[in-house]
Amino acid sequence: MIPATLAKSLVEICGRDGVILDEDRLLVYESDALTAYRHRPGAVVLPRTTAEVRDAVTAIARHGLPVVPRGAGTGLSGGAVALDRAVVVGTARMNRIIEIDAANRRAVLQPGVINAELSAAARPHGLHYAPDPSSQTTCTIGGNVAENSGGPHCLKYGVTSRYVTGLTVVLSDGSVATLGGGGREAPGYDLVGLFVGSEGCFGIATEIEVGLVPLPEGVRTLLGIFDRIEDAGRAVSDIVSAGLLPAAMEIIDGPTIRAVEDSVFAAGYPTDAEAALVIEFDGVEAGLDREAGRAAILCERAGAREVRSARDEEERLALWKGRKKAFGAMGRIAPDLLVQDATVPRTALPSILRGISEIGERYGLVVANVFHAGDGNLHPNILFDRRDEAELERVERASKEIMQLCVDAGGTITGEHGVGLDKKHHMPLIHGPAELDAMWGVRRVFDPAGAMNPGKVLPEETAGGWSAERDGVGAGGPAVAFGAAR
Amino acid sequence: MSVATAPGALSGLLPESRVLTGEAASEWAGSPVRAVLFPADTAETQALVRAANETGTRILPAGAGSWLGAGGWTRAADAIVSTARLDGVLHYEAADLTLTAGAGLGWRRLGAVLEPNGQWLPLDGPGVGAGTLGGAAACGVPGPLKARYGGVRDNVLGLEVVTGDGRLLRIGGRVVKNVAGYDLVRLFTGSRGSLGVITKVSVRLFPRPEVDATMVFEGGMGAVLEAARVVRTSSLPVAAAELAVRPAGVVDGPAALAVRVLGGREEADDVCSRVAVEIGRAPGRTVRGGESELLHRRRTGWEGGSPLVARLAGLPDRLAATMEWAREVAGPTRGEIMADVLGGVVRVKGLPAGGDAAGVAGVLTRVRRGMEAAGGTMTLSQAPGELAAQVGWTGGGGVLAEKLKALFDPRPTLQSGCP
Repeated sequence: MIPATLAKSLVEICGRDGVILDEDRLLVYESDALTAYRHRPGAVVLPRTTAEVRDAVTAIARHGLPVVPRGAGTGLSGGAVALDRAVVVGTARMNRIIEIDAANRRAVLQPGVINAELSAAARPHGLHYAPDPSSQTTCTIGGNVAENSGGPHCLKYGVTSRYVTGLTVVLSDGSVATLGGGGREAPGYDLVGLFVGSEGCFGIATEIEVGLVPLPEGVRTLLGIFDRIEDAGRAVSDIVSAGLLPAAMEIIDGPTIRAVEDSVFAAGYPTDAEAALVIEFDGVEAGLDREAGRAAILCERAGAREVRSARDEEERLALWKGRKKAFGAMGRIAPDLLVQDATVPRTALPSILRGISEIGERYGLVVANVFHAGDGNLHPNILFDRRDEAELERVERASKEIMQLCVDAGGTITGEHGVGLDKKHHMPLIHGPAELDAMWGVRRVFDPAGAMNPGKVLPEETAGGWSAERDGVGAGGPAVAFGAAR
Repeated sequence: MSVATAPGALSGLLPESRVLTGEAASEWAGSPVRAVLFPADTAETQALVRAANETGTRILPAGAGSWLGAGGWTRAADAIVSTARLDGVLHYEAADLTLTAGAGLGWRRLGAVLEPNGQWLPLDGPGVGAGTLGGAAACGVPGPLKARYGGVRDNVLGLEVVTGDGRLLRIGGRVVKNVAGYDLVRLFTGSRGSLGVITKVSVRLFPRPEVDATMVFEGGMGAVLEAARVVRTSSLPVAAAELAVRPAGVVDGPAALAVRVLGGREEADDVCSRVAVEIGRAPGRTVRGGESELLHRRRTGWEGGSPLVARLAGLPDRLAATMEWAREVAGPTRGEIMADVLGGVVRVKGLPAGGDAAGVAGVLTRVRRGMEAAGGTMTLSQAPGELAAQVGWTGGGGVLAEKLKALFDPRPTLQSGCP
């Protein structure tokens, strides 16, 4: 519960329907899509404009309470969870596309606009917004900015930070700053690039300018079926080495294939296969067939038993179905699911995949892999039942080993899901004290009071060094994180 | 600490063979400077920056020193620290399409390393051909290929930096997707050496396309601008389009549009013929392969030794208006203009006419205000010392930029044009 005077101010700023104080309704906001971390906010405020965000943040700051920015709550790292009864500033009512400037291939929008809705609005102009996280039908552009989101087609097109050209942001003291904008390259420091991916710790983006790209004229989609997952990993490396640049390359492993085929999402993948590789090329029609043909030959040479190719949009959607519905299908075979997000150099894929499978076997756990193979961005999913305490402990240990394996191969702990609460204690795995200290310094430049999404991303410095303690998991809660099936 | 003794405090840290002083130093930089120091590794770089920090010596980080000639950059520096000797390739796995190298790796050697694997780093900002990898990262200025491949900031994956206060930071990594913590790589890339000295760089590479073709359309200004508009609004995947005007003072003088097409054979042929159809005429000439590449490599050196280079950036559909502002600069300086059609960026170079420095400064300030009023910017890329000081490299960085500068270089020890 927040002080009554603050509640009154917030109602004055955002209207009665823009402030949630009722404990039952606040339950909705207690976690993001990573449901292991549950903390009920002190209040939720839903402003409609930059001015309302500014006034709300100023009022909250005056009461010394922390602020947690929140988009659609589809994040997978606990980043939008309100610790210490912080006040959530939600962008649900800031869902207006302000301008689509087709002539300059850019759009200006409020942060609550849904990713897929932006692309839909751009479509009549022959344009679309390229970054396509799997949650694109529900996640918001503001959330994408906070997390620097990726997606399958980022292999060719790049991630969110490549497309954000301008931001209006409200900082924790209530001041409003304009970064970049006008579609131009910013002279001086790249403050837009620095803000993107700051996970709500620097401020709240209230207006976002993004670049749009023309819709491709043609698309070719292939599905390679493999008996060994390492062969699929090798095919990915071979395709890249051959100078081909597909729009997307995604691997779905055997356990995932079987989960999908056992579910209502059955996509017609052979259930005895150990890997399926979806490859997509796009661009002008001319030359697409030859590129797809070359990729198909490389798949066969790497050991594919079969390469299917989509003849029309319907078949294309069928080939993608197994990939898109993978998380939903896994939810059917185990009650809980731990999603990891490490990125490794592409050439390390075959050995890492073998290593992950060995770790799974050693701990007697089912590990299902479905991931952005072209970028080396893995999503190993450990399937388990949180009610089985012994299994829980094995999950935690296996999870740590997998992360260490990826870091040792020259990788990083998160490629697109963000650090949030979940991976904060893993940050010392890849950053030294000097780097963590520099990140704290930059954070304080934007948020000297430490009021913006506190307790996220960076471990606290303790007398004995950087804290590697996991925190934020409620008392009695499990010591592991598991994502909602999606 | 007086300027007279400061560089001495630094020279003692390196063997004499890696220190230039007096005339040799000025000759290397192309403009007056007391000393140039060439550390051979990260530790030496850090020792130099720390010593500079302790003694109040002001240093200018540099790479090959190919961009210092006009004097504006070296003006306030006691010494230059060049990373040219940090030129090793440290990690290159072709199938990963990533490379890590010392900041001093020269562009030509980088090309030679990548070529056997059919790969390249498609950054074509001003001056890259003559400079170093670290220099390109520090300047962060994109070229016309940004529309296809992203700019410098999109393709630098990781950096090792010695900050102005002497801390050693290893930020980012060598994987293409990485959101583990705040994106300090984007902060340091393009910070023009004002936050730290870059010692190592990891970059993303691309497969070299099968075909590199450039179509050149020549004619009067009006016709060429119209062709540029057609290319800009086309949905065809043109890799880059540049418009050159010379001499800029002539309103309907001869101009040329170079349209660059990259891709597989069928794709490139198809795009080339369709671009010509959309423009409504065949190109005056088309160059392919090495010749096309050479044409663009020469363009990255277009600024050459010009003592004044300004960069005007606005929305692409305002290109004609931006070019009018560029003419304002070019007029009194009898300069030339080069426009990135897809990016809306116009570069202008020229010699101040008749030595009227105050007049040139007045024009530049007026042009900056004009660009800013329309939501654009004007940046000086190259200028004599006096002019740079009068006009300012950029239009100012703002409070956040100043705080970031103070965080990494509080004294300040590093001299440059940011913020």
